[in-house]
Amino acid sequence: MPELNDDEVISLAMAAGLKIPESELKDVRHTLNSMIEAIENINPENINDIEPLPIILPEEVNGNGQ
Amino acid sequence: MDSKSIIFLSAESLAAKVKSKEISPTEVVKAYLEQIELLNPQINAYITVMADEALAEARVAEQKLISGENKGALFGVPIGVKDQIHTKGIPTTSASKIKSNFVPISDATVVNKLKKSGGIILGKLNMTEFAMGDPITSAYGITHNPWDLDRSPGTSSTGSGAATASFMCATSLGEDTGGSIRGPAANCGLVGIRPTWGRVSRFGVDGASWSLDTIGPISRTVKDCALTLGSIAGHDLNDPRTSKLTVPDYVEKLTGEIKGIRIGLIKEFLDPDIMGLDHRLRQGILDSVDVLSDLGAVVEEISIPLSPYSGAASRTISAVERSSLHPEWLRNNLEELHPNTRIAFTAGELIPAQIYYKSQKLRTLIRKQTTEALKDFDILAMPVDSGPAQIMNLTPGVPSKESADRAIKNASYRGLFSLVSCPALSVCCGFADENGKKLPLGLQLAGRPFDEAKLLNVAYSYEQNTEWHTRKPPL
Repeated sequence: MPELNDDEVISLAMAAGLKIPESELKDVRHTLNSMIEAIENINPENINDIEPLPIILPEEVNGNGQ
Repeated sequence: MDSKSIIFLSAESLAAKVKSKEISPTEVVKAYLEQIELLNPQINAYITVMADEALAEARVAEQKLISGENKGALFGVPIGVKDQIHTKGIPTTSASKIKSNFVPISDATVVNKLKKSGGIILGKLNMTEFAMGDPITSAYGITHNPWDLDRSPGTSSTGSGAATASFMCATSLGEDTGGSIRGPAANCGLVGIRPTWGRVSRFGVDGASWSLDTIGPISRTVKDCALTLGSIAGHDLNDPRTSKLTVPDYVEKLTGEIKGIRIGLIKEFLDPDIMGLDHRLRQGILDSVDVLSDLGAVVEEISIPLSPYSGAASRTISAVERSSLHPEWLRNNLEELHPNTRIAFTAGELIPAQIYYKSQKLRTLIRKQTTEALKDFDILAMPVDSGPAQIMNLTPGVPSKESADRAIKNASYRGLFSLVSCPALSVCCGFADENGKKLPLGLQLAGRPFDEAKLLNVAYSYEQNTEWHTRKPPL
């Protein structure tokens, strides 16, 4: 995915009902492009088959802290 | 006992001396209030000092001493709490103008538990606005690092680190989403533990990121950290995500015996070319695992291949989760937010759904690789950050995409164990010389989910065989 430009960031913000102060537009663009690029570039094998579960699973809890 | 001698005592010793009536709770509170009056003007660790309330609590504690009710582990110990943790009748601002008039009608569960343990709440500690960004975002001014006032005390629990290091409280509570307990602990030369997600109640704490937030202590010693954690951990009916597992006596389990404990040193974080690690910190980490090895631990280098990408996943997930909590602020309170908070919230709202979803998939894979490693190893070791505390950047904004890229990469140091939801702590492992200043370095240790006891014991063994924890900031 190519980097978003200022106009595209403004359009995204409008769709979300947000106004970005002009002085902060480049900061939002840098932040957004950085996160998108970072995630897009990580492509481990079988990533598409993974079921995303944010919380730790009972079988992963094998500590003896009790 | 004079005031300085009182504040330099550990929380554990303080509680013991109060219980034995060697010193009175009022003397203790007054000693800490003196230190706050002396240092808070330059450190700015407190948003609200609860002097009257703390003195009143001290008088109640004196009555309890007379009637023999002095049972709590933290009896008479003055404690600071991060200002996103609710305190009944006391403003709880999350360091934002938006919440400057918010006065909770009840205490957070962790505050309630501290009080039941005999702790005396001394005040509300500064932080970054809504636990995001750097120290300049606080609406209540920048908190300074006691080791070098120009440097960051670590974020987001800035005040918890700075107040504890400068003896303005005996122990403190912070909140760790992507490293906000471990970062301040490392930058300020302290011990801070992020407990397993679900070990400590989040009820009454203004959330940042629901699947990553944890509440934990920042203390001057491992034993004080164990004492404080033991006081706040456990199941809470008000937080259905808390575990029903029994909370061990963490202090009792600090034997210092670590023979045969298997420690995996994560090699991805030791490569300066991959992660930009400072050579002094790298040496500090290698020296610290040598100490652990000499004490009988079995140390091996291991690989967690996806771990350097933890920052990208944790930053993306927390950005989305944070901005979803209060979407009205960006629409109705734009001017009241610090520019950096506005920028971060806005980016969080605009992240494409598939990027967020892929971040969650990466989280699952990173957690799988790390929990696999924790089947072979009791403890994992790595640095807390890429180097010692940095000079604070006082200019708002994100100067370039490259600077945003660096921030994401650096977030991997602490984001890894946040994603995994396992316990992780920072313990001081040396000091770097920087223009005549001594800056603390942080060793990060992580353990199996809900096995904080073993993790704390390994840190205790290291601490007791080094002298770093005995050093004091030059104030």
